[in-house]
Amino acid sequence: MHKFDYVKARSLEEALRALSQGGEKACALAGGTDLLVGFRAEDARLRHIELVVDIGDLTELAYIREENGCVALGALTTHAAIAESSLIRVAAPFLATACSQVGSPQIRNRGTVGGNLCNASPAADTLPVLVALEAEVVLRSLGGERRVPVSRFVEGPHRTGLRPGELVTEVRFNRPLPGSRTCFIKLGRRKAMSIARLSIAVLLRTGDGGVVEEIRLVPGAALPVPARVTAAEEILRGQGLTVELAREAGEKLAQEMVRITGQRWSTPYKVPAIAALTRRAILTAGGLEDVATRSQA
Amino acid sequence: MGVVSRPVPRVDAYEKVTGRAKFAADLYFPGMLYGKVLRSPHAHARIVKIDVSRAREVPGVHCVLTAADLPAARSWFTYLFLAEDEVRYTGDAVAMVAAEDPDAAEEALKAIEVVYEPLPGVFTIEEALEPGALQVQDYAPGNIVRNSHWPVRRGNVEEGFARSDVIIEREYRTPFIEHAYIEPEATVAVPDPVDGSVTVYGSVQNPYMTRRYVAAALGTALGKVRIIQQTLGGSFGGKEEVMGLMCGRAAVMAVKTGRPVKMVNTREESFVESAKRHPFRLRYKIGATREGRIMAFEAELVDEGGAYNSQAQFMNWRACVHSAGCYEIPNVKVDVYAVHTNNVYGGAMRGYSSPQVIFGQESLMDELAEALGMDPVELRRKNALRFGSVTITGQKLDDQPVNVLAVMERVLEEADYFNRREEYTRQREKGGPRRRGIGMAVSYRGCGLGAETADATGGLVSVQEDGSVIIRSGLTDNGQGLSTSHAQIVAEELGIPLSKVVYQRVDTSTMPDGGMTVASRGTYTGGRAMLLAARKVKEIIFRGAAELLSCRPEELASSDGLIFCSSDPSKKVSFEEAVRHCLFRGETLTQLGWVVPPELPWDRPTGQGKAFPTYMYSCVVAEVEVDTETGQVEVLRVTAGHDVGRAINPALAAGQIYGGIVMGMGMALMEEVELHKGVILNPNFDSYTIPTSLDMPEMKPLLLESEDPVGPFHAKSLGEPAMECVAAAIVNAVAHATGRRVRSLPANLEKVLLGKTLARS
Ligand SMILES: Cc1cc2nc3c(=O)[nH]c(=O)nc-3n(C[C@H](O)[C@H](O)[C@H](O)COP(=O)(O)OP(=O)(O)OC[C@H]3O[C@@H](n4cnc5c(N)ncnc54)[C@H](O)[C@@H]3O)c2cc1C
Repeated sequence: MHKFDYVKARSLEEALRALSQGGEKACALAGGTDLLVGFRAEDARLRHIELVVDIGDLTELAYIREENGCVALGALTTHAAIAESSLIRVAAPFLATACSQVGSPQIRNRGTVGGNLCNASPAADTLPVLVALEAEVVLRSLGGERRVPVSRFVEGPHRTGLRPGELVTEVRFNRPLPGSRTCFIKLGRRKAMSIARLSIAVLLRTGDGGVVEEIRLVPGAALPVPARVTAAEEILRGQGLTVELAREAGEKLAQEMVRITGQRWSTPYKVPAIAALTRRAILTAGGLEDVATRSQA
Repeated sequence: MGVVSRPVPRVDAYEKVTGRAKFAADLYFPGMLYGKVLRSPHAHARIVKIDVSRAREVPGVHCVLTAADLPAARSWFTYLFLAEDEVRYTGDAVAMVAAEDPDAAEEALKAIEVVYEPLPGVFTIEEALEPGALQVQDYAPGNIVRNSHWPVRRGNVEEGFARSDVIIEREYRTPFIEHAYIEPEATVAVPDPVDGSVTVYGSVQNPYMTRRYVAAALGTALGKVRIIQQTLGGSFGGKEEVMGLMCGRAAVMAVKTGRPVKMVNTREESFVESAKRHPFRLRYKIGATREGRIMAFEAELVDEGGAYNSQAQFMNWRACVHSAGCYEIPNVKVDVYAVHTNNVYGGAMRGYSSPQVIFGQESLMDELAEALGMDPVELRRKNALRFGSVTITGQKLDDQPVNVLAVMERVLEEADYFNRREEYTRQREKGGPRRRGIGMAVSYRGCGLGAETADATGGLVSVQEDGSVIIRSGLTDNGQGLSTSHAQIVAEELGIPLSKVVYQRVDTSTMPDGGMTVASRGTYTGGRAMLLAARKVKEIIFRGAAELLSCRPEELASSDGLIFCSSDPSKKVSFEEAVRHCLFRGETLTQLGWVVPPELPWDRPTGQGKAFPTYMYSCVVAEVEVDTETGQVEVLRVTAGHDVGRAINPALAAGQIYGGIVMGMGMALMEEVELHKGVILNPNFDSYTIPTSLDMPEMKPLLLESEDPVGPFHAKSLGEPAMECVAAAIVNAVAHATGRRVRSLPANLEKVLLGKTLARS
């Protein structure tokens, strides 16, 4: 078992100082649902860690609030808290949906949004949603504060722009404009404790006459870095939403996925599946009925 | 009945729900050391050199052993406690250590240097069977597992096919499947400082089998090894070889160091070294007349045994008996055999070949029905075994009820099968990506061990002077509830409250070897031994009571702790009083009941004979909804009916059915041990998926009772039947929903959507 020093931070200040001292060899421990699993598995990415700074008691980093049209989530906010938040359910329902499907009740009670973000798994459930919300990450270090869009913060599978000595303290996004509708669909091998095989986050706003004014499409577990697929979005923007257009956008998104990732063992499956999920999510967000949303019974 | 046939609470419920039950990993002894094993990273390699000198210097380490230090490297079977010069799969161990704490043991493992020369290996059934293929074991020429070939020859298949109007040929596949018991393997071996014997506490399914391993490891007499089973967190056939090896290793280190040694597997270690459900390649040719009468059945069933195997020899016999399903077929040619590969080994797992074989054969029935343009139920009705039918092994079923059709019709009715079938077919034709389907499967299963090995076992009933009763069996409670069903049987027979019966766990030194707790024989066979013992005791007590009541023993009856005269219930004496009277006179109220196995003749070259004394019958109907755009399958509803003879405890029987459904569902849709060159890619439950509580369908268990002439209070087997036709029913339902058949399990997202396997490479 990996051996490391352990510090339990009693204040943000103390956490930042410890992280700063530890430099590259230090990391934060929030809920531990990724980190401790990684240590146990002797994950090569953690081999250099000599100091673990437990920030789990910093309750000041667990909050959900709205200020001037900006929704802010403290880094230690758990998936359970987000899923249950009435603010999130109204302002960004797909984020609540995504969090409600993470792991199991135990994992949702411990796992945090900051941890989900910093672990940067390609299958992380909140990432596509946060990118679709154009969320920003707030980073603090002894040197001060900086903000980076989530889409830039995540640099690759399990790679972020977190610098030594830094802590994510908050994730924030502008509350989507009134009339925005969202949808998140996760596809797994079972109904709980399931890593996403694929997911899709959609934010859509239609204006007068049902014309799509805003559309953001972000697939999960499909790209090395969660990102909007603008080529697919363009098919819809400025158009009246129809089943046919949603289908086209889904297919385009699948093509883009292949263009970016190339052919992999799973591509023959992922192409038709992500196309269908995307179509469904667009139509659900747009309030249009899709054949697939109805079951036979 | 007072106690039997009632859903009484389990006798071990309280200790379990309050967390007081002691599993092997919960045991601590003064001076106890922790053992760990170093396993091979290669599926096949020559061991060039092992250097343990640095490991011996790790603080807290008491012993570091390699094969050279062992009394015996090989177990009573061919599995290796520690490999000597060659490893044959990634579970093979090369060294072991015992240290004062688990961390020191870990560190010592890391300090062991092993130089391997990797060798090519064989990793599939096809590779194993290729002419000139590498030989996994010298004693298994052609890689055929020794003694694993079981043929059935009946009638003349050539003639049968000639008289068939429709003939189809199909191949089906099943993968390695993990038992996924919640408790990983654990043991503590405690050496006796005086006489050199050892006591081994462990999560063992088969204490007597484990004892053979431990005695072999120590090179000592069976009598010097005492195995005490601890509360078990599930086994399903899994805690057999792996426990023998683990207990053997712990015992050797315990004797070497003179200290108790504990070993507990991590989940990954458990995945790597424990047995798996054998993968099968099932090839069939079946022919029927236009009217649907099956004329000929030909099958080649090959299972993958892995690097070592001590089960295919027995399991494949069961596979040959049940290969053609519960149908009467005049012309049959079946060959079942197993091959060695450099993969993890196949072992016993709930069903013992039947779930795989039934998946193939009941899929085949649906495909034959389709080829005939006939309803699949109709085809089954036409060919099902009936009273007086002759099975494919030539056994005439005229001495017992034969309930295939009764069970099938009842389950179909309860499941509203025909209406739903019609409705879903109609809706499917309308199109749309979400489609529902309903499918079914029927099976029969020989109760107990049958002609496989002697189905003998013992039960000990010992009445104490206060009227309490100790019972002991050679068979184990693995969580299935054997302790409760045995206690119920004894309480019923003696006419005493269940609370008077005290079940004691298996201890190999206090009970004769009663064989293994397998083949769904715990209640069927073990319960009979208990009943025999209780009867012997009761006879003595009734003689005593008759004296006290001045009547004849034949006039007496007992219930609820009272023994009374049937004709005049006011003439009565308490059970305790009668017991004290007998003991005072110097009688013994400790009796052993022993089930003597029936004679079951078997002709191996033709596979003809009396396979089992009696059979039980099952039918499962499954309803699914398939998302044809993602390949996702949701199991909506499962109706499962089983001819249980008599449910000793209806709640526990229903529990078996629920568990069987979920296990069968995992097999059907998601479970598969993924291997790459012998390395298990998904050795924990994040990537090896089993159904969760949210995936469970609506379940309707039906306990259908009949008069079994053999089992205790007419009870038959249930543990294995409860899961064996579930996967077949679900896959048949998926085929109904999609119009496309998945012939290789599991029917996962990729296979349902694309109709083919995608494997990560
Ligand atoms: C059984 C199980 C099921 C799971 N299911 C899902 C699922 O369905 N979907 C999903 O997306 N994930 C799932 N996960 C993964 C995990 O639970 C989530 O990613 C969770 O959000 C991680 O949060 P945490 O607080 O536990 O992170 P931790 O494990 O504490 O930390 C994760 C990483 O982030 C770093 N970190 C954490 N917080 C900060 C911070 N504030 N600043 C800087 N660095 C930080 C840590 O140093 C570490 O590198 C599952 C995990 C398990 C064990």
